[in-house]
Amino acid sequence: MSISEYDGCVARASTTSDVFNAIAEADRREILDALMAGEKAVGAIVNDVSMSQPQVSKHLRVLSEVGLVSCRAEGRRRLYRLEPARLRPLHDWLAKYEQAVNDRLDRLDDYLRELQLQGEQQ
Amino acid sequence: MTPNRHGSAVIEFPNELEIVTTREFDAPIALVFDVLTKPEHVRKWFAPFEDKMTVCTIDLRVGGNYHQVFVTDDGTECSFRGTYLEVEPPTRTVETWQFEGWPGVEALETVELHETHGVTKLTMRLAFRDKAGRDHMTKSDGQESSLDKLEDYLRSLLDAKGSVSG
Repeated sequence: MSISEYDGCVARASTTSDVFNAIAEADRREILDALMAGEKAVGAIVNDVSMSQPQVSKHLRVLSEVGLVSCRAEGRRRLYRLEPARLRPLHDWLAKYEQAVNDRLDRLDDYLRELQLQGEQQ
Repeated sequence: MTPNRHGSAVIEFPNELEIVTTREFDAPIALVFDVLTKPEHVRKWFAPFEDKMTVCTIDLRVGGNYHQVFVTDDGTECSFRGTYLEVEPPTRTVETWQFEGWPGVEALETVELHETHGVTKLTMRLAFRDKAGRDHMTKSDGQESSLDKLEDYLRSLLDAKGSVSG
């Protein structure tokens, strides 16, 4: 589901049901990083990050709600894994945005250098 | 001179309505402020090389307006306008921002400069009035918006920054 479709079916999406916002939170990004290596149980995630188990569980709930992680049961354990497809649109957008911002600020940087060089020469 | 800082902009999303970009420049604060706010300077760096800036007016005072228009290589006009709400040379400006391509979307832009040992740090904060405005930026997937529209979004955002500055 696209972000826009998502917003369409949740009239007033709360902060935590927004994919964009789900990854805007540094702790949640840390959890996503921990899941990059593969499927993990909550305990293993807690070992990888600097958060308590209740905090990790809370963030996992948010990430599951927006579809960024999925969960399956294996015996008594619940295993979480990353759903990278859901990150793709945001990743693509971010990459383009970062590139465009950097291009503009790099041109500003070059121009500032040029001006200062001219100043030194005069 | 020190090696350049190309590609070093840091972009953060502190909440669902804001985008904050920071970048350092090896130049004194007064020069950076001028280059961000004087049309003769803005024309020199703001537009990508292939684009033409047809309008660049900046009335740098509280209540003053700015207007910037670009023509992209395929002939599309991108027009940005806004009004300065705060002007405190050389450290800070706050201005409204509107892009003609996104009717009804308004953002507030805050530009701050801080100099330490000859290095000036630029912080640009773009705050959308509501979530619908910010969503204009992130609707990047599939059927709903083509890549071209995304590029327009990006362009407008950047132009927002420029107008901030510019």
